[in-house]
Amino acid sequence: MTKVPKRLGVKFNLKQTPQLQPADILPIFQRWIQEHTVPGMLIDVIDYKHVLEGPGVVLVADEADYAYDLGEGHPGLHYVRKRDLPDSLPAAIRLCFQHALQAARALEAEAPGDLVFDFASAKFSFLDRMRYRNRPSIFAAVQAEVADIVAGIYGAPVEVTRVNDDPRRLFALRARLRDGQINLDEIAGRLSCSPEIA
Amino acid sequence: MTSWKELLKDEIPAEMGNLIDIYEAQMELRKQGKLDEKVFAESRLRKGVYGQRYDNGQRHDGVQTRELTFPSADIVKGPDTLWDAPGMQRIKIPYGGLTAEQLETLSELADEYSGGILHITTRQDIQLHYVHIDDTPDLMRRLAAVGITTQEACGNSVRNITACSLAGVCHDEVFDVSPYADAMTQFLLGHDDVQDFGRKFKVAFSGCAGHACGLVKMHDLGLLAQSREINGETRRGFTVFVGGGLGTVPHQAKVLADFVTEEELLPLTQAVARVFARLGEKKNRNRARLKFLVAKLGIDEFRELVQEELKIVPPDERHTAYMDSLGAFVYQPAKAGMALNGAALPAGFADWYRSNVYRQAQPGYSTITLHTPLGDFTAEQGFQLADIARRYVGDNIRLSVEQNFVLRWVADADLPSIYRDLDAIGLADSGAGTIVDITSCPGTDTCKLGIASSRGLTAELRTRLIEKINLLPDAVRDLKIKVSGCFNSCGQHHVADIGFFGNSRRSGNHKMPHFQVVLGGQWQENAGSYGLAVGAVPAKSVPDVLEALTERYVAERAADENFQTWVKELGRKEIKVMLQPFTKLPSFEENPAFFSDWGDSRVYTIDDIGVGECAGEVVSLFSMEISRAESTHFEALLALDDGDFATADHHAYKAMVLAARALVRTKYLDVGDDYNVIVQEFRSRFYDTELIYDRFAKGKFARYLFKRHEAAPARVNEDYAHQIIDETQLFIENVHSAEQRINGVIVG
Repeated sequence: MTKVPKRLGVKFNLKQTPQLQPADILPIFQRWIQEHTVPGMLIDVIDYKHVLEGPGVVLVADEADYAYDLGEGHPGLHYVRKRDLPDSLPAAIRLCFQHALQAARALEAEAPGDLVFDFASAKFSFLDRMRYRNRPSIFAAVQAEVADIVAGIYGAPVEVTRVNDDPRRLFALRARLRDGQINLDEIAGRLSCSPEIA
Repeated sequence: MTSWKELLKDEIPAEMGNLIDIYEAQMELRKQGKLDEKVFAESRLRKGVYGQRYDNGQRHDGVQTRELTFPSADIVKGPDTLWDAPGMQRIKIPYGGLTAEQLETLSELADEYSGGILHITTRQDIQLHYVHIDDTPDLMRRLAAVGITTQEACGNSVRNITACSLAGVCHDEVFDVSPYADAMTQFLLGHDDVQDFGRKFKVAFSGCAGHACGLVKMHDLGLLAQSREINGETRRGFTVFVGGGLGTVPHQAKVLADFVTEEELLPLTQAVARVFARLGEKKNRNRARLKFLVAKLGIDEFRELVQEELKIVPPDERHTAYMDSLGAFVYQPAKAGMALNGAALPAGFADWYRSNVYRQAQPGYSTITLHTPLGDFTAEQGFQLADIARRYVGDNIRLSVEQNFVLRWVADADLPSIYRDLDAIGLADSGAGTIVDITSCPGTDTCKLGIASSRGLTAELRTRLIEKINLLPDAVRDLKIKVSGCFNSCGQHHVADIGFFGNSRRSGNHKMPHFQVVLGGQWQENAGSYGLAVGAVPAKSVPDVLEALTERYVAERAADENFQTWVKELGRKEIKVMLQPFTKLPSFEENPAFFSDWGDSRVYTIDDIGVGECAGEVVSLFSMEISRAESTHFEALLALDDGDFATADHHAYKAMVLAARALVRTKYLDVGDDYNVIVQEFRSRFYDTELIYDRFAKGKFARYLFKRHEAAPARVNEDYAHQIIDETQLFIENVHSAEQRINGVIVG
């Protein structure tokens, strides 16, 4: 069985640069803490928007971080699960995908029409260099399995590519829907039926 | 491979690995409730593992204080410090010197454990925030594999030893202090004489008297490079300062010795440490820094005590052995030095060159400062900076006390291309060392003691100043601003031209974040003088206050009059009058924005302030050392569980010796590490005198130690391993009981 990384991240990029500035995300995340908008034991909001292409604005929770992430020059919603991952890779990926999707949709609702995510593509980061060194052999070992898992989420085939080939960088994959048509409610429905999430 | 411990076992120096194993065992003991929480807190602090805001399980969300229900709610890693709460890992970078490989490892760790962000501190450390304590042993192992330790990065210990980031390339230095800072780091790390302080102890080196870089006058121990003719020979040495420090009550250091030679440097430092350990305050941590002892005794009496102590400092070949390797401390530039060749310069280069480039003493080379906003950089920037370093300067990377990167030994001809490369990763902002390059402590973002948002204010001032930097007169452009989130001075506000520290005031039924304005501190001459607080203003008024101050300074200053002199001439009374309009507080209804801090939409509260761990708990030397014995005993148990009986015996024996040593050190600090000496001293002081005797078992438990010490077992099997582990447990309990009988106190 493929090992579960110690931490796992899922990021959805925005389709285009929004009018909303990173500074505007701070009060949104702070309100999310008050209103428990997203799951988890929400702790604090950190502002890193001053660093280039960094994590931007981060809502820190005990088990996960939700970031309005500016990495790679693409603003997006990055969910990183830090603890309590299920003990199978399919379940771990589905769990993170579900929470990332939920947070991204909640963020879209804060600025309808301005914050628009590209849900047809997701980046999966394996924050665990012990189990997932960024090597071709690791990619070869998990590519098909990840493609199957993500295709199961979308209900359609996906293409999985390696994000970069620098062995120092985190092992990360991008999954893109081959057919761009998606139905988010159906995806959410499929995810909520997953035993590890329910 | 299943763990970092296994994977890196051949790359970690044995002693470093052993200390990390002990720490990991202590974590397990604490989780099981078998190690006192105060003792564990001090142990983890001495590994650089620090608490963070909200780790008491409470946070005000702007409406109400909410309980943070962490999963391991009933387990604490220190008093009022919940196990699962995110914490900070401080990582010592002696004199700020980094290799490209080390930078890559730090970046990897940030990727995995701290959200991809690293922070440069005002004492040349790296800090990772939001780290879970369970990740810290592996984090330390990965650092140890590239020669970095977190040992004694916090707690009541010798903190990171700092030095000028220009050391070795400076035009004005007497000599390069880097190898001396390195030697002192090696000498003091884990030294017996620095384990029993009532508070932290900070050391700094500076190569010259005039510039700021080393800041020796604000340190517990400051070493200023000097040379002197002795018997017709030019000798290197240092002027030694003691008792400086900022904090709530800043003290200027006093001269302990005008000149000590290289041979005298380490023994003198050891003598200072021994006097501080013996006579420094232990109960009241607010008066436990060396500065209070020097002030209480007076520098003359303190000097006499140190001189007396010097006579009984045990001989140690390390006192002078480091001198043999001074010549080996050479820099390897990546390229030959070459002058700028007239090639076309990129846009923005001229401004950057003016503020960020220092022409080295070595022709054809420059040192460049990377203006690092708020001291933060990403893991991705770290990787790319390591590539840039390899391409242009090799391992010549330093961190500065102004929270910046410094790259040394850049061939001048490469300046345009390195500028382009740095610009591509967001590290080519101009203005290093100017008014936009503001120093800030973490403040309310992560510090338990923070009262106001120093980082929020710094970010705001920085944004506003960058917009108009090119319009500012030189006199303003070159001013230093430093911001602390409270009165404890981690942002070094006392030594800035314009400093701010956080406090709060009431307006109606609400609290309002404020900053006290501190004017006229001196950064130059190694933090030559401290500024004076002139009044508190609302946090949201600080940008206007800054503008008013600088505009008036430009308008009224005499030609070439610096800011310190202008402030002095103006006088505190007139400054108060100038600040008066800004001190008027709006009501909440009039201007609710004044009741939120910078970068925080919550209505301001100080309910989140916790108990700081800056000093750690004052825990007795015995408690610290016996906990090492207990952890080693625990490792013996783990080895027994693994079926590794020889290792179990080894750890059990070592645990007994460590326990004996802990007791011996309550009477004889200099017992050292030799097992024979420890056992002999233990026998004569506690066994022959029957002080160790149990009421019923008499000397039986001590004889377990003697028996094992006198003869290693011919054959180690499971039964034997069980037996010696049980005997070790009994002996440790016996030592605990004896210590209570003899000294009456265990913790605190």
